[in-house]
Amino acid sequence: MGILSLNLFISALRLATPIALVALGETYSERAGVINVGVEGMALAGALSCAIVAYFTGSPALALIAAIGIGASLGALHAVWSVYLRADHVVSGAAVNLLVTGFALFLTRVIWGWRGTSPSAPTMNAWILVGVGVFLIALSQVYIFRTPWGLRLRVVGEHPRAADTAGINVYRTRLFYTVLNGALCGLAGAFLFNNLGRFTDGMVGGRGFIGIAAMVVGNYRPLPALLAAYLFGFVDALQMRLQEYIPSQFSLMLPYILTVIVLAGFLGRAQVPKALGKPYIKEQG
Amino acid sequence: MRWTKELIPIAGAIVLALGIGAIVTALTGYSVPAVFKQLVIGAFGDWYQLAQTLTQATPILFTSLSFLIAFRAGLFNIGAEGQLYLGAFFSAWAGFSLRLPPVLHTVVCLLFGAVAGAIWGFIPGWLRAKRGANEFVTTMMLSYVAIYLTSWLVAPGGPYHGTQWANQTVRIATSAQFPRFIRGAQLSWGIVVGVLIAFIVWYLLFRTPRGYELRAVGQNPLAAEYGGINVARNLILALVLAGALAGLGGAAETLGTHRRFIENFSPGYGWDGIAGGLIARAHPLGAILAAVLMGALRAGGQAVDRAGVAPADLASVIQGLVIFFVVAPELIRYLRRLRRGKLGDTEP
Repeated sequence: MGILSLNLFISALRLATPIALVALGETYSERAGVINVGVEGMALAGALSCAIVAYFTGSPALALIAAIGIGASLGALHAVWSVYLRADHVVSGAAVNLLVTGFALFLTRVIWGWRGTSPSAPTMNAWILVGVGVFLIALSQVYIFRTPWGLRLRVVGEHPRAADTAGINVYRTRLFYTVLNGALCGLAGAFLFNNLGRFTDGMVGGRGFIGIAAMVVGNYRPLPALLAAYLFGFVDALQMRLQEYIPSQFSLMLPYILTVIVLAGFLGRAQVPKALGKPYIKEQG
Repeated sequence: MRWTKELIPIAGAIVLALGIGAIVTALTGYSVPAVFKQLVIGAFGDWYQLAQTLTQATPILFTSLSFLIAFRAGLFNIGAEGQLYLGAFFSAWAGFSLRLPPVLHTVVCLLFGAVAGAIWGFIPGWLRAKRGANEFVTTMMLSYVAIYLTSWLVAPGGPYHGTQWANQTVRIATSAQFPRFIRGAQLSWGIVVGVLIAFIVWYLLFRTPRGYELRAVGQNPLAAEYGGINVARNLILALVLAGALAGLGGAAETLGTHRRFIENFSPGYGWDGIAGGLIARAHPLGAILAAVLMGALRAGGQAVDRAGVAPADLASVIQGLVIFFVVAPELIRYLRRLRRGKLGDTEP
């Protein structure tokens, strides 16, 4: 088989997992109308809190809960700012990224005395999280398109006024799914920590943004987004073997270029939720 | 005065952010007075420290201008980082490949930087205007493409790998370099060019029909369209100018600070520009102050680190907090108005 060995397909699955989790989270919040570019920071915060809790308690399970909790809290912060205070979604998300990057470098120095890295800490088998990810994605595909809750979620992102009229609380729905997005980013961060066994500040390294890319390429649907994430993970795994033939920088560019092509509509129109990024203002009675 | 009204909430946000920064400092066991003393000394303590602040402020000024000119047209340029890298590389290329007399050489290098950035702004601008592609995603994605591209250009095996020990180009010719002000400090004419450009951007936005059109498109594209303004052209122009400004910032880094292109030279100046543009309330002259503030935080943070009183990254924590609070007060006012029921059903 040469370059294309079974090993390659397996490592692609691992590399795809954090991307797919972020893509799933972003699918939820954007379906509800909230853009979240803070996914990068939320995943980093998840990885860091996972490392801290695992290091001090020795319990990977507690660490996992901490990662999800921190991710969800940052999701809540972003939701309060963008949904209730009507701050611009992109700005608020970018602020989350800056804040977390600063905190990560600061806290690693404070706790371990090393800038941006942690010593190794107890981990769980990362394959468990791969399985959890695939399960959540399959479940979400059904949830979003085959259940009344999923319908409500989509209406809030497409036509908040109609949702409001039908008695759906637009603000609370957006808050809930943005928190869920944060929690899934935290889970992605937890995977990254458990995969490596320690924290480094570059461990997310654009995978949050590639997650958004996978969501766009998957056209806001969980299963196609998983396939896109797998494609990106595959390219990532392949570039290490192809370095002799193609400079790695060019394979690393692929997800980004593909996203631009998809957004440009050259591969069929992306179906962006109509109220995406727009604040909803309840009518005054 | 209108601008004092603008200034108070921003000053409040900065004070609030510094306050929380102080709490974080205290909670993590560092001395608050020592940290803040070093922060101020490191940023403004003497001529050398002031030069450090302004050196850091230079690229941030350009990326802030880049963000705000797009913002004025209702667009988000999240990709200033990549435009900065392209500008830095292509001005370096002009700096070591061309043979020109001193001042002309510098100007040509700046133009190379501006054009490289402008091209990288044109692509998302065109995609937005003609294909409806979200510019905040495309600028962000193209930013990574640019960073990887420049990284390949100077990597071992790449065409411009100039030195054995590091991924960087060879030095640019002396004729292309910006003169520096103080021996031993990297501060160069880049800051002067930056301030000049800030005034030009101000003039363009507020004193020319072109700027009026850009702002009209940003305020209300539908109304602008009815008023006979070509919205698509203005959207493209806004991102071309945004790209050019970030590209110029990269050129200033090459010509003044590093005198060559270095892989990964930017610690996130492109992202700082978002903060700078917002702190300046998208005003080009305000961007000068915002850039100095952010430069001071970076330079001060390094001094805090050197003095051993706390890690430098405390400054980035404070910076992130500033942005959160800067976008909040306006919205609090907004909500108050909303509660009084003065606001209609409009979507801004």
